[in-house]
Formats: sequence, structure tokens, C-alpha cells
Amino acid sequence: MPREAEPSLNEKAFFLQALQDGHRLDGRKFEQFRQLDLQFGDQYGVADVTLGKTRVLAKVSAEVTVPYPDRPFDGIFTITTELSPMASPAFEVNRPTEQEVLLSRLLEKTVRRSNALDTESLCLIAGQKVWSIRVDLHVLSHDGNLMDASCLAVVAALRHFRKPDTSMEGETLTIYTPAEREPVPLSWLHTPLCITFSFYGDEGEMTLVDTTLLEEQLKVSSCTISLNKHGEICQVAKLGGTPVDAVSLVQCASIALQKVKELSTLLDQKLAEDSKRRNKGGLLAELSAENAR
Amino acid sequence: MATDSEMVFVLPGDGIDASLIPTHPKRPLRLGPGLRHIPPSTIVPTIAGQLVTDHKKNSLWVEYNGGRYIPAVGDLVIGQVDRSAADFYYVALSDYSSNASLPQLAFEMATKKTRPNLATGALVYARVSLANRHMDPELECVNSSTGKADGLGPLVGGMLYSISLGMARRLLMRKSVEEGRVVVLEELGALGLAFETAVGRNGKMWVNSEDTKTVLIVGRAVKETDEGNLTVDQQKKLVRKLVKEMS
Amino acid sequence: MASHDPEARLSHLQSADGSATFSHAGYTVVGAVNGPIEVQRRDELPEEAVVDVIVRPAAGVGGTRERHLESLLQSTLRQIILINNFPRTLIQVTLQVTVSPENEYVNAKLSQAATNLPILPTLIQTALLALLSAAIPLTATVTAAVLAIVADDGASTIIVDPTAREIQVSRSLHVFAFTSRDELLLNESEGEFTMQEWDNAFATAQRQCCPAPTSDDVDMEGGSQADLKNFTRSTLETKTASDLYWK
Repeated sequence: MPREAEPSLNEKAFFLQALQDGHRLDGRKFEQFRQLDLQFGDQYGVADVTLGKTRVLAKVSAEVTVPYPDRPFDGIFTITTELSPMASPAFEVNRPTEQEVLLSRLLEKTVRRSNALDTESLCLIAGQKVWSIRVDLHVLSHDGNLMDASCLAVVAALRHFRKPDTSMEGETLTIYTPAEREPVPLSWLHTPLCITFSFYGDEGEMTLVDTTLLEEQLKVSSCTISLNKHGEICQVAKLGGTPVDAVSLVQCASIALQKVKELSTLLDQKLAEDSKRRNKGGLLAELSAENAR
Repeated sequence: MATDSEMVFVLPGDGIDASLIPTHPKRPLRLGPGLRHIPPSTIVPTIAGQLVTDHKKNSLWVEYNGGRYIPAVGDLVIGQVDRSAADFYYVALSDYSSNASLPQLAFEMATKKTRPNLATGALVYARVSLANRHMDPELECVNSSTGKADGLGPLVGGMLYSISLGMARRLLMRKSVEEGRVVVLEELGALGLAFETAVGRNGKMWVNSEDTKTVLIVGRAVKETDEGNLTVDQQKKLVRKLVKEMS
Repeated sequence: MASHDPEARLSHLQSADGSATFSHAGYTVVGAVNGPIEVQRRDELPEEAVVDVIVRPAAGVGGTRERHLESLLQSTLRQIILINNFPRTLIQVTLQVTVSPENEYVNAKLSQAATNLPILPTLIQTALLALLSAAIPLTATVTAAVLAIVADDGASTIIVDPTAREIQVSRSLHVFAFTSRDELLLNESEGEFTMQEWDNAFATAQRQCCPAPTSDDVDMEGGSQADLKNFTRSTLETKTASDLYWK
């Protein structure tokens, strides 16, 4: 497997020096995100996130299947992240790297384990038929901070997605095609998003948010915090690396909350714009069965 | 130097109009990048770009921007030392391409007893001495005929920036301001900033200065010119904006 | 509703040497090309570059369908890339399908399990645009088209760029790819058809992909189908003009 290219000694030394002087390579502030763009596809459930030069695409699809035998009342929800050589020639198909495994574990914990999606609402006939929702994450371009961009893409795609409408008449289950009845959104409980912090310096005293690829390669440790806009934390992951002062971590958590609120507002705004664009004469509001929360 | 006044665009496999091929009474026709010669007399483009003619030197080539650097003899490049072996350094010119070899004796004043000491991750400014498709490229840090370094050798300190191949070409032109239309470096110099740069044809630029901020400004100026396709006026505005921001 | 106006964006992905997003007939594919880069020792070929194609579907991970498309693409692209220029290297083409036409009369999973061929021309065009963006030397450009033959009580009609419904009711599907020198590069057919029907389909595809050179104005409206050969040319011409803005 081709090795990822490492930064030169000159770059390492200069970068640290610049950080100590209070400068980032592209002139951003330490907690400033790059330019973020979120686009939805023409089809439901497609979200395209561009964060600086990092670009990820999430696509949601649904099919009816049998539930797990030990969980007859729950639907199935899976997130797949497979990094391809498009993101970087260092990634090979079918050979998950450590980065890929960590990314998919993080997304699982953030979205699945926090019960953001109500899996019980995916059940059609207990023990026999349930919806299986599948999110595929494609990384189109990798310039650092895949975690945050991927989480936003996955959550945005899930909130954008519409599954086919169904109805039960006695014993018969009818699944309507999009032409027969307008599809319905998923049952969503809360919106978790994650923010990654990278630490630099011998004691991890300098913190950066939204790192580019070069900045990511030079970090000494990092911490990812997932939470929703109400301040409820889903997970905190600091996987090894240089130890960091506890006070810094608490500060990171409050910066994370502020950023998540900004991102949630952006997401809501984009979803509203998208539904306005699709709204055929106000009908969608009547057909919607979404829980107001 | 002379170019056609209107752009002639070619795609791979296109036929070339005979009127565009220059002729010269004494010099043979030289084909540059992007063209293929099929004997006896067919010349076919192999990439998409602009067909450029130089009547003085009697040469023809296709101008383009993009893609990966392919080593060619005589190019000046900035490489990163990957590891050192017995008599060679293995130097990386682009990510994921094969390493080039740099003999440890190919430095000014180097003998078997006094060799340069380059650590892994160090940067060198070198010239390509051997490049063909069957072999890994070879570099040298000394002019083999005169024995002088001419500015080649290890690059200490400073910062490395990645630029597109087209921008590297423009910066390496002898008249980069008039022909390449890159004025940011001149402008920054005129504003009193002191810095030195080295440009590698493999899409790398090294910038050094005593002041960290100066290096950051120079790097950002060139990168934004490259990525934004900025015209001369836009470049001047960018330079003024960056200097104001950083002071 | 299949859109017949093709759209393309080039060189927009930062990490790849060349990239292209191409939309046509309801499909959108994002392609990235890296190369020539280092190849694994076990895969390397002594005289030529290895061409590796990876196709990823929009939903789900790929299966045998994608492997089949990959092998068709690999054998097609291998013939137009100048692989002898880069022995012992790898040219990697990754194609990610982002949008497939939705059939409103059928629920998602069912329509995915249908046939391989309709997406093949879009994949070929995307790969070509990505290769041109990466400046990989090619012998010629490629244009591909998919046709369906629908039978109506004995009389068979040929439909170019059929919609999902038309594919469902068709009796046979054909994909043809031609180089810019009007040579047939790829010929795949599925279903029941007579040799006469194949000849007619071939002639239609040839007219579609190798339009007789007319005047300079490209009329996108003229004829019910888009002219992909000229589309490729005009897209690259625009990109080159923008890249070489400084000349």
C-alpha cells in the first residue's frame, strides 16, 4: 500500500514557529472553520459537504428487510464509509486503514448509539418486516478534518431523506411508490454533530479547529467531541497522543458547543431552503408527518 | 518567444494543420511536451491544451496546466529526502511517485571523506541529471562540468508550498513578470519585505525570511494567485490586502 | 426525467491529479485520475503502465456488476492511454456514481438490480474527461453512446439514450464507443436482436458519436441528442483558456 507522504522538516519547524507567533498557514484564527458549503441533491437523501478543499458526499437509501432476531421491534441502520483512491492514493479499496476504521466508529457512536434516529419507528411488522436505512459516505477529496465534514454530511442526508410511505390494513402491508404517495421523512430525535480539536506543542498547549491535511499530519494529539445544540454530549474521543491539560479540554467543549449551534442553524436553514425549492404549492406541509421538536 | 496571436486548441489525436508547423532552413524541428512523432512525418498531440510555436528555436509544443510532474533532464526541482542508502539519497519529487536517487558525492566539494549530512525529511534543490521512462530519475546538486553548486543543495529553514505545474513554469521563466504575468514577488519586494525563494518545476516553492510573517505573506500571495487565476491588477490588490492584514 | 444536456466540471478535486464530474441522461459520475504513480511490485508490468479502474455505486458497496463495468472500462481505456510511455507505473481511475435516474414507478432497490449497460457511456465519458484533466497522454479521445431497440409488432425502433422505462420494455441494449478517429473501440450488447438490427444500431451510433465535421458553431439544440464529441472539445477548450489566462 503506498505510504502517505510525510511533511518535510522545514514545514514542521516553520509551522510550529508560526503557531507560537499566533499565525496559521492560511491566515485563519485558531478556532475558525474554513468556508463551509452544504448542498442537497435533486434526489432525497443526498448531501454534499465542502469544507475548504475537503469534499464528502453522503447518500441514504432504504429497503425493506427482516429485522435482527434479537431485536424484532427495531429497524436496521448502518453507516458505511469506504475511502477510495479518489480521496488519496494512500487509500486502497477493501483495505481499511486505521483512519477509515476510526472514522466509521466515530460516526456510529455519534449517530447510531446516541439514538438520533428512532429505530423503533422503522418497524413495519414486528419480527417480520422493518426498514433498513443505509448511509453511504463517499470521500471525494481529502484536505483534512474528515470527521467533522462526514458527520455533518451524514446527519444532513438523513434529515433530508424521505422513505416511501406505508400503510397497514389488517394483515396486509402496502408500500407506496413515490409516484403514488409522497415519501415521508425519518423520525428524528436530536441532531448530533462533531467537532475535532487538534493539539500542538510539547505539552499540547496550542489548539486548532478544522485542520487542513498538513496541519493534521503535524498534530501531536486530537480530541473529537460530539454533541447536539442543547449541549448534550454524545461522545468524547481522545485516542492516545500527547496528554492535554484538563482545562483545555473543558474550553474545547464550550467552543464545540458554540460551533455546533452555528452548524445546526446552518443545517436548518439549508433544509428550509431546500424544501421551499421543492414545495409544490404548499402541499408538502400538509403531507409531512415530521415530529416537531 | 513568438506565439500565435489566436489560440490553437488541440485534443489528443487531432490532426495538426501543416501551416502551424514551423520550418527553419538550418535547425531541425524540436518537439516539446504533449506531442508525439509517428514516423515518417506525422505529429500528433497527446494531451489537451494550446499548441504553441517558437519560430526562432524552431520548436513546437502543447501548453497546459495540470497533472503530475514527469521528470525531464535539466529541470530544477525541490525534493524531500526519504531515506539514505550507502552511496545515495533517495529523494521524493512528488507524492506517490517513485523516488529519485541523488548520489552523495554530487555536491560541491564533496569527497569520500566529507559527505553532506542530509536527514530524512530534509529539502534539497537539485537538477535532474537522468530521466527516462525505464529508469528511476537521478538528481545532482552540482554542475558536473564546473563543479560549482550554483545555488543547488540543501534548503535550510523556511517553508515549502505546493503550487500547480503551470505556476511553477511561470515563476521559472526568465521574464516571469512580462511573460508569466506573476507580479506578486516583485510587488512584495517593492513594499520592503526581505525574503528568498526557490522554485522547483515539480510544483514546489520554498520561501525563507527572517520574519515568519513575511514567509506567510509570500506563500499565501503565490498560492492565491495560482488557485484564483488572478490577473496582474488582482495580484497587486491581493498583495496590498495581505500586507495590511498581517501588520 | 432524463436530461439530455450534458454538463461537466473539471479539475475541482484537490487531492487527485485530474478530476471531472459529468452529468448526462440522468446519471452523474465523479471521476478522479492519479498517475503515473508507483505501483505494487506484484502488479507492475515491465513495458507498460498498469491501468486500474475502480467503479463505486451511489448506494451500497460494489459487487459483481461493478467488477464487470471495471473490466470493460479497463480494456477500453488501456487502448487509448499511451501506456508505453510509463512502464512500471500505475494509472488509477476512480469513478464514483453519485446520481442514477430514479424510476418513479418502482421502488429504489428493484431498479438497481437491472442492467449494467446504460451507465457505461457516462462512465467512459467521465473517465475520459478526468484523464484529459490529469494531462495523461492519450492516442485519441473517445465518444460512447447507449441505444435500446424496442420492438413494436415486428417493426423495431432504435432509441438513443433511452430512459428507464424505455429500457424496461426494450428487447436489446447496445453500447458503442468510438475514438476520435472513428474507430470502434467498444461494442457490448445485451438481449435478443438480429444482425440487421445490430447493423442499424451500429450505423446510428456511428452517426451519433462521429458527426461529420460541419461548420464551427456547435448546435446543442440540433438533433434530439447531444453531440458528446463536440461537448468534450468545447469543455476542454474552455478549461485550457481559463488555465492559460496569463498568456
